[in-house]
Amino acid sequence: MQTSFITERKYPFLGDLLSLNLWFRSDPRHFQIFFLSSFLLFGLMFLNWNVSFTSLILAAAGAFFVQFLGIRFKHQPEAGYKSAWISTLSICLMLRADEAWVFLLAGLLSIGSKWLIRYNGKHVFNPTNFGILICILLSGRAWVSPGQWGSETLWLLFTGLAGLLVLLRAGRLDTGICFLAVYLLGSFAVHVFWRNWPLDFWYHQLSSGTLLLFSFFMITDPRATPSDRSGRIIFASAVALLSLWLQIKMFRYDAPLWALLIMSPSTILLDKIFIHSPFKWN
Amino acid sequence: MKKQILIAVFAGILQPYFAKAFCGFYVAKADARLFNKASQVIIAKYEDRFVVTMSNDFSGEVKDFAMVVPVPEVPEEQDIRTVNRLIFDKLDAYSGPRLVEYYDHNPCNRYVMESVSAAAAPMADTRKEFRESEERLSKKEGVSIVAKYAIGEYDILILDAKQSSGLESWLIRNGYRIPEGAKEVLEPYIKSNMKFFVAKVNLENFNSSGYTLLNPIQISYSSPKFMLPIRLGMANAKDDQDLVIYMITRKGRAEVTNYRTVEIPTDKNVPEFVEQKFGKFYKDLFNRAWKREGKNVAFLEYSWDISSSNQQKCDPCAAPPPVMNELAEAGAFWLERNAQTWGGGYSGNAWFTRLHLRYNRENFPQDLFFQETPNRQSFQARYIITHPAQGDLDCTEGGMYMEQLIGRRQKELHSLASLTGWDIEKYDSYINKYRQKLDLFKEDRMQRNGFLFPDLDSFLENLSWIYLAVFLLITFWLTYPFSKNSRH
Repeated sequence: MQTSFITERKYPFLGDLLSLNLWFRSDPRHFQIFFLSSFLLFGLMFLNWNVSFTSLILAAAGAFFVQFLGIRFKHQPEAGYKSAWISTLSICLMLRADEAWVFLLAGLLSIGSKWLIRYNGKHVFNPTNFGILICILLSGRAWVSPGQWGSETLWLLFTGLAGLLVLLRAGRLDTGICFLAVYLLGSFAVHVFWRNWPLDFWYHQLSSGTLLLFSFFMITDPRATPSDRSGRIIFASAVALLSLWLQIKMFRYDAPLWALLIMSPSTILLDKIFIHSPFKWN
Repeated sequence: MKKQILIAVFAGILQPYFAKAFCGFYVAKADARLFNKASQVIIAKYEDRFVVTMSNDFSGEVKDFAMVVPVPEVPEEQDIRTVNRLIFDKLDAYSGPRLVEYYDHNPCNRYVMESVSAAAAPMADTRKEFRESEERLSKKEGVSIVAKYAIGEYDILILDAKQSSGLESWLIRNGYRIPEGAKEVLEPYIKSNMKFFVAKVNLENFNSSGYTLLNPIQISYSSPKFMLPIRLGMANAKDDQDLVIYMITRKGRAEVTNYRTVEIPTDKNVPEFVEQKFGKFYKDLFNRAWKREGKNVAFLEYSWDISSSNQQKCDPCAAPPPVMNELAEAGAFWLERNAQTWGGGYSGNAWFTRLHLRYNRENFPQDLFFQETPNRQSFQARYIITHPAQGDLDCTEGGMYMEQLIGRRQKELHSLASLTGWDIEKYDSYINKYRQKLDLFKEDRMQRNGFLFPDLDSFLENLSWIYLAVFLLITFWLTYPFSKNSRH
């Protein structure tokens, strides 16, 4: 009552701010877009990232174009363009290439996978994860720089807080926390407990921005993880264990990304075992 | 002798071309020797095959020399050799930070001054002696000698240990001093299946070799781990050590995967007088950049395509690019000697990356892990000085030129201050010389603090915190539940 009073009568400006606040909180994807943009800005301003404006535009062009085709020809106007934004930003955050066209390819691939690779109307792969890795394989001109975030405590606070907010909104805190817990416990067991590295060795691993971004913003995508909580917990643990194996035994520096790609098809099976209505954005 | 002639010819052909293409002449370089305790490593990588060369700048008595290096695999005898120590100087000179110079034309009359270049002169080396020490082994300690080689002037053992306490007492009994900080990593290395490469000097072989200095050791092995163990070398938590890594890979730029790789500030216009103290300039620049980036990053100083197909292997060249013999010496075994072009020619793809780190125990808890990226962007640490026009400037264009020159020199001083942190007030004359000439010089127009922005740098350093604060404020506003019915 009071809010509408402010909106309509006395304080029009404050009213606008409040309704913007309401609109923003109506969809967790708004949080995601806001946070991913802040991360990108942070990286460009303070971490000397080499992402050109052209790359951003091309990634967006690819993603929005395919999203447009999908909406048009699959007749789903309610899909909207928010996910295209999220994919664009995630690609610019994670993918690195010295030629801008690679970003266009990544944009096309990630949203393309969302529309074309489906099972029972649900995405099989996380669009960004699929787009980035397949783009690396196909183009041979792209890579992922896990070291690009450094390991500042500042950054740790920053991503952690943002991630928690998004996951609380989307109701997917379980997936992120479960992945992170299994991964960090496993890494603690191997590196600190078994190999006897000092504790800061493990802490250095924990504070990697890439790991946090992955656990809070990628593996938690509600549309590409099992719909039921038990399924999600099994899924997140499996991805964490596979990442550990790829990292420790196969020396892959980008292990979590590959683990997620490999494990993604298992959501089909997990959804059959644990039945739950699929997730819908607001 | 032949090699030297070839290098001269090579440089002679290429240098004028570069000068023309870039209008810049290389004048001075800052070599790795500027940095105290700098160690240098060459890593050549071809798929899973690595050739690692470690510089030997040991400056004590040769008898005391001992080296312990963790290696992922046991190298065979033919996989270990000593190489010419000059290879490091060669690669250092080629890839080091460089100062280039430009000349302004006199707008009043049209002639160009020719360049006279001066290069920073390096170094003095110390002589070394040595003594052989006997190796003893106890089964109880759980240390087994997997292999034992005599390579060049070195006696080399490859150790496989079961437990760290055994290895530690074995090393101490055999006269290897282990720094305090190194003990904590012996066990992790053993548990990670690393072997220990242990080298001492063999007196007889050293005398008969005819060398007066110890040669660098080169090890080849196949392993999926693209890494460099640095933890064993950390003497104590406080000590900063400089490390320059020359990478020769095939596809493109190499980078560190578990720390940030940052490009060192480059292509900056700096005042003319930097030429006389370029070494100190670069040292201070590095120091400042290292502090600004949080002391836990690797700096990229050079990245260039040195494939046979690329004609322009540097621009401008601080030193001639490495030729076939030198690349082979550095471990780039996949390159093939080219029969058509005599001497230095080769065919094959290679990419040269130079990384410079300053590490200590506190800021580098993990060893260095790398990846080879397909990034083919050239990079060099390059600083530019511009000499003003010579002669009389008594014409209208001359006056305009001097006004521009003053503006440019202010920018140069400002950039010098932000790069190195030098106090630039004492270089007032750098600008005032031309102010006086222009008859513009007035004390009140100096605006000393106006253009020097003394507080700008500290402001920029805190900017990331300001960014975080703004971010938190907006987040708070966006998420604060102003009304109970937030969802519609």
